[in-house]
Amino acid sequence: MAALGRAALLLSFGLVVYALVAGSLAAWKRRRRLALSAQNALLAAFATTAVAVVVLWIALARHDFSFVYVADHTSRTLPLGYRLAGLWSGQEGSLLLWLLILTGYSALAVWLNRRTRDLVVWAVPVLAGVASFFVVMLCFISSPFATAPAPADGAGMVPSLQNPYMLAHPPLLYLGYVGLTIPFAFAMGALLSRRTDERWIVVTRRWTLAAWTFLGVGQLLGSHWAYVEIGWGGYYSWDPVENAALMPWLAATAFLHSVMIQEKRGMLKVWNMVLVALAFCLSIFGTFLTRSGVINSIHSFSQSPLGSWFLGFIVICVVFSVVLIYLRLPLLRTKTKLESLVSREATFLYNNLLLVALCLTILWGVMYPLLTEAVRGETRSVSKPYYNFFLHSFGLPLLLLMGIGPLVAWRRASLRALGKTFLVPALAALVTGSTLIALGYGSSTPGLLTYTFGAFVAASIGLEFVRGTRARHALSGGSWPGALVELVGRNRRRYGGYLVHAAILMLAIGIAGSSAYQTVRERGLHPGQSMEIAGYTLTYLRLEQRQEANAIATRAVVDVSRGGSHVTTLDPGKNTYPVEQQVSNEVSIYHDPRNVGDLFTIADQIDPKSQVLFLKVLVKPLVNLIWAAGFLFVFGALVAMWPDAVEQRKLAERYAANAVAA
Amino acid sequence: MNVALALAALLAVLAVAFVARPFVREPAPVSDRLDELGEPERRRLQLAEERDRALEALKELEFDHRTGKVSDDDYGELVGPLRRRAAEALRALEPRAEARQEPVNTPR
Amino acid sequence: MIALSVAAVLAVFILYTSVAGAGTPQLQPSDLATHRQGDVMLVGRVVGAPTGDAHAAGGLHFVLKDAKGRNNAARVPVRYAGTVPDLFRAGREVVVEGSLRDGTFVAKPGTLSTKCPSKYAPAKKST
Repeated sequence: MAALGRAALLLSFGLVVYALVAGSLAAWKRRRRLALSAQNALLAAFATTAVAVVVLWIALARHDFSFVYVADHTSRTLPLGYRLAGLWSGQEGSLLLWLLILTGYSALAVWLNRRTRDLVVWAVPVLAGVASFFVVMLCFISSPFATAPAPADGAGMVPSLQNPYMLAHPPLLYLGYVGLTIPFAFAMGALLSRRTDERWIVVTRRWTLAAWTFLGVGQLLGSHWAYVEIGWGGYYSWDPVENAALMPWLAATAFLHSVMIQEKRGMLKVWNMVLVALAFCLSIFGTFLTRSGVINSIHSFSQSPLGSWFLGFIVICVVFSVVLIYLRLPLLRTKTKLESLVSREATFLYNNLLLVALCLTILWGVMYPLLTEAVRGETRSVSKPYYNFFLHSFGLPLLLLMGIGPLVAWRRASLRALGKTFLVPALAALVTGSTLIALGYGSSTPGLLTYTFGAFVAASIGLEFVRGTRARHALSGGSWPGALVELVGRNRRRYGGYLVHAAILMLAIGIAGSSAYQTVRERGLHPGQSMEIAGYTLTYLRLEQRQEANAIATRAVVDVSRGGSHVTTLDPGKNTYPVEQQVSNEVSIYHDPRNVGDLFTIADQIDPKSQVLFLKVLVKPLVNLIWAAGFLFVFGALVAMWPDAVEQRKLAERYAANAVAA
Repeated sequence: MNVALALAALLAVLAVAFVARPFVREPAPVSDRLDELGEPERRRLQLAEERDRALEALKELEFDHRTGKVSDDDYGELVGPLRRRAAEALRALEPRAEARQEPVNTPR
Repeated sequence: MIALSVAAVLAVFILYTSVAGAGTPQLQPSDLATHRQGDVMLVGRVVGAPTGDAHAAGGLHFVLKDAKGRNNAARVPVRYAGTVPDLFRAGREVVVEGSLRDGTFVAKPGTLSTKCPSKYAPAKKST
């Protein structure tokens, strides 16, 4: 069976390379049938890759340990769900998943746009080029179909990966990462075919939005995973692997906004090309970081041969993008200029600058150890204080801009008009700010600013909905809720966008509350002893031990009360896995509705003999807003993405009469 | 093992057939030329985009005015130039539209 | 134009912070002898059984050697207080922040973290 998998991948290799070579030739020499053939090859590559995936999945499901990959990543006791998730828990399998998604997306994008011949004809070789890299890795460097005499049992999956997050987090992230390849390919396709119109943007808009949403949700899931499973009390530690996903997401956020400017004003063409290439290159860089472990120590290059290949590919992508953009620079230049520094276009531009600045500072921080090693011979690294400084410096103005943007008119906003529209949100901010200071929230300046700006943004977005609903109601009557639904239905991009902004606002407030205003306390307790934190009293009652499926669970039973009345009982502890010889931390969390936050308990250390428990407790206000924000985020994105018949008709009219007859 | 080989062979045959399909379907076509956007087409596309931009800008201005974000004075100042731009864009497209006998959108 | 100028300002700013000595050096036990002052991040492999208690007065005591490279002789005793990651044990690669004082590396509390043993399981523990 492994032979079938290998054969399928070799077929993918042949098809993808053919699509690259034939596609380029067809586009260059304007050969219609060859172009179609190359297109078909790309479509077929998805089918052959899918066959390879099915082969691996069957092997994983059937405990076929003759596959080295199956033996390395699963075991007989591993449940089916996690066995199938083994597809992406290892190096080779995750590359295969990447290729599957890439060929799948490519096939879909090319098929949906097959009538835009001259755009697709160049997008095909670009997509094939990216796919070639992955397929070469899979066929010749890092194959999931290596076989060996089957051992009795496999090595199993690391216990910390055996949870539902493992089923969702990597695929969602990949759907996001890989999705950024599509706008990149069509952008480069537009450059290669010397098109100067916005067709590539129109065609890829929903792709970018979808990829961006997947990447955002994937990261949120990852943070939640870290929060409840790894359980150190936080959800983000600025680890290179975490930053690996954040950077392309920030670049994609900037791109989503600046592309709107190009659609409305025809400006920023060069900037958009640079941004889409940046987002794509960062997505490849992101997976490179996660796989090669290169950042922790430059010496780990030798441990993973993939690292140098990836780096080479990234360099090729960067050089290709830069050269192509440079060569087409004359085509992209426009005469349209920014009319006023006080306009909605300008706020979009500031938003872009801040997002890219934040993205680049994170990139710098991630690369710092490599650069210092290369330049000074001594590895230095930056940590939380560095990242937090820039997150505050760039993030807070970004937050404020989310509120300012909707209030400013396009092209040119008069100060008079600004004064009127700013009034209510500014008042909201002022009232909130002074109230908070009076209540003692001035202890953290970034926290206070987040809340204050947040009030501004909330008022701004709220007013948008109110004003819009009022106007719609005045026009068409009916009920108020009906007017709201109609308003959103007719302006999906705008109001979907506002909903997404509201989600980001929730995220910011949740982060501020749970970091700037959290309380942490650690205490060593004997059974019967208590500790106090933020109004709670926690009493350590006793230790319990029980046998679970594949672990011995030790739990400290802790009673939680507030103001004398019992609130809940928590049981932080540890799990010991005899087979894997590992211990895992099992935190116990109480979701407190009073502050929309958590009471987070960690059994830092348990001494079974003396029964002494080292309990670490964190009170994190508003942290659950972060997870709630995820749902609003997806909802808002769906609204913004939802097909709009009116818009489709207009676009069809614009491009249909122009259809290339071939 | 034989099943695997047979399946692989089948897959290969299907793939090659699919890739060769355009050539098999049209062994001797009238034209194998892949048309590209000619200069008049590009020009028309550009004008169409400008027209849509102008119309969209007008729509947004009206929306902003109706929801109270743009004052009456500002609206009066801005709407004139925008209407002119839209009219120009429409006019520029007209000869081509007439040549194709298409209806022309009018701003509401 | 605006974009380029702001980018330039940013670049200068970042260069400044890096020149100003942002960042903590990452060293292996064999490098530690030559690097005298200041806080560093010590990267090494735990050798021998750890003794003591990270939450008791004396702290946790363990010894680190070079995780990579040819120098296998260098040994650094470490004293640590605070949260100990679950993956911590003899043979693991760890990172800990602190400074060398009288031959013992005194760690800043709570800065111990382990590198995950398997190549593709990004489970990490840090504070």
